[in-house]
Amino acid sequence: MHHAMSRRSLLSLGIGLSAGAALAACGGGGGDAGADLSTDPVELRFTWWGSDARHQRTQQVIDLFTKSHSNITIKGEFKEWNGYWDSLATTVAAGDAPDIIQMDELYLASYAERGALLDLGAASKHLTTTDIDAAALDTGKVDGKQYAIPTGLAAYSIVANIDLLNQYKIAVPDDTTWTWDDLKAIGAEVSKASGGKVTGVQSWGFDAGGINIWARQAGASLYDDAGKVAIPPTVLAAYWQYLLDLAKQGIAPSPSVTIERAGAPLDQSGTATNTSAFGTWWNTQLTSLSAASGQNLKLLRLPGAAESSYYKPSMFWSVSSKSKHPAEAAAFVSFLLNTTEAGDVLQTDRGVPTNATVRAAITPKLAETDKAAAEFLDTLKVGASPRVTPNGASDIEKILKRHTEDVLFERQTPQASAEAFIKELQAEIDAA
Amino acid sequence: MSALGELHRLGSTKTGPPRSRDNKAAFLFLLPWFAGLLLITAGPVAASFVLGFTDYNLLQPPEFNGLDNVERMIGDERLHQALGVTFKYVLISVPLQLAAALGLAMLLDKGLRGLAFYRSAFYLPSLLGSSVAIAVLWRQIFGAEGLFNQVLAMVGVSGRGWISDPDTALSTLIVLNVWTFGAPMVIFLAGLRQIPVMYYEAADVDGASKWRQFVRITVPLLSPIIFFNLVLQIIHAFQSFTQAFVVSGGTGGPSDSTLFYTLYLYQRGFNNFDMGYASALAWLLLLIIAAFTAVNFWAAKHWVFYDD
Repeated sequence: MHHAMSRRSLLSLGIGLSAGAALAACGGGGGDAGADLSTDPVELRFTWWGSDARHQRTQQVIDLFTKSHSNITIKGEFKEWNGYWDSLATTVAAGDAPDIIQMDELYLASYAERGALLDLGAASKHLTTTDIDAAALDTGKVDGKQYAIPTGLAAYSIVANIDLLNQYKIAVPDDTTWTWDDLKAIGAEVSKASGGKVTGVQSWGFDAGGINIWARQAGASLYDDAGKVAIPPTVLAAYWQYLLDLAKQGIAPSPSVTIERAGAPLDQSGTATNTSAFGTWWNTQLTSLSAASGQNLKLLRLPGAAESSYYKPSMFWSVSSKSKHPAEAAAFVSFLLNTTEAGDVLQTDRGVPTNATVRAAITPKLAETDKAAAEFLDTLKVGASPRVTPNGASDIEKILKRHTEDVLFERQTPQASAEAFIKELQAEIDAA
Repeated sequence: MSALGELHRLGSTKTGPPRSRDNKAAFLFLLPWFAGLLLITAGPVAASFVLGFTDYNLLQPPEFNGLDNVERMIGDERLHQALGVTFKYVLISVPLQLAAALGLAMLLDKGLRGLAFYRSAFYLPSLLGSSVAIAVLWRQIFGAEGLFNQVLAMVGVSGRGWISDPDTALSTLIVLNVWTFGAPMVIFLAGLRQIPVMYYEAADVDGASKWRQFVRITVPLLSPIIFFNLVLQIIHAFQSFTQAFVVSGGTGGPSDSTLFYTLYLYQRGFNNFDMGYASALAWLLLLIIAAFTAVNFWAAKHWVFYDD
């Protein structure tokens, strides 16, 4: 009993290993993506991560598709984020990967470069991408091949609680001109006005979006085109110094609270519980945050944004390279991406749709907060998207979190952490 | 062994068939177990040994890389952190846990009323201790706004985020492990019952103090049991995984302060697709546990007293 879980994980490790050995031995290939759709019964497996609301919407879309393709059945397999990647790694290793895979930018290159994903260019007969924004499509390419197609777009933003600002009689900042120093100053006003009950800013430092933007604002980038870590240590050190200042000056909560919240679900965050006036989020999270907070939340552009912002694909559709029915899988992905039928159900749950026709069709039907998110994206000035996360760097957010903790608890100086972080991330990329 | 021999004798007195037929039947019945052992345990164990000398990312065939993994261990700072955390955890929590177990066992051995109830009540945590539910509960209790801080606030002490602060996070896990003293306690209790009362009576007559009785009678006569518990709990503690995994959300954080060895192994294997290195790490853990156990057995010659 004492080590029930460790024994089980050791067991699954064992199964993974022997299955992997079996895979190495036989190495079976997939079907032909260019073939005609089969008229025989076909069973597809489809996996995604997400919330209950997403599971329900996705099941509805599956039902719509199978209604018009009566010989195809689709079995959904869904999990929460962390368990999802553990389980995907083991099923792919066992040669038992689901046919259709919801993919994330962090893992795309890791799977594509190891040959686990189908080049969707080969499935163009069943999967059209003509209506999808070209820049967005590019985010799904690895080594020039279309291994994934983005479902939707998102952009990094600051969510401000307008009700809190009104309550403390603080003006909403002008997000076309504000700077990081302004954010600090306004945050300090909020903390002071509330007597510490509400902090001005909810600290960040746990997601890759934050340092991507910070690097771009300094005229650098997180990775260079060759996939090397390229952010200069001084730039990264300044990022952490900023976060440390926020915490030490009481503008953000204490490090302990920050770290507890970083590991907690969205609805326990400072923004969702109305205990922080400003927080960094992806713009598409506005709806979930508003629902949890119950107050008036507004999307603001980041301080000093200029054209440092970029469209992040919220997630992708991929097909397994081992799929026995790649043609049918591609047809289903095409249905998800290109039909207003599917768009009506999915709405902006997986980001603001990348398909221009679908986007135009669903916009009038969206809820207020979804509309605000779509509008934010339309009016945002963006630069070119950053390079896809290199193979081996999938764990960047975990590494980042650890070093942010070191900084906030002052176990390391920002400069030392920056150097250690860059070294460690580069080592992971080199080892992959 | 004796049961099998019994069975064999029964068989031979009745019909006197050749031995081999009996053995065949026995092996036939054992076959499912053997198959399980070979396929589910021995096979993967052997595979992991081989994989320990490879670079294997789960998706592509493994590639032999000689002793690269061993070399990597030497320069792997997170591994050293994980070893530090794990040694600290084992060396602090096991003695505390055994002391608590022995103390409670001696108290219960006094024969107070409702013994059965107390025994069960104290045993319960060791059934629950490594469960996910308790780890979740722990996170709530020792959180910045958790129960523990609320109690502290009542007596005017302002607490901290015990689990989210790298200085105290490991301590909360040590407390959790000590709290699961029930299993060794029950074994101690059984051991204490075996010590003849007359020794204590004789010591009383000679005017020996309670402490002296404990050192001179209880400890020596209980030493085989102490030894047994020590070996077992050290092995258990080295393998701890669930508590740290749940409490830190799988990260071993904050700042790697709860990065148990098994957790790091898991991260390398399943988060970084680094199965070759993870396999090598698994074998290093085996060697470490074997070394600790060997030292234990060697030291036992000097302090464990067998009454036969």
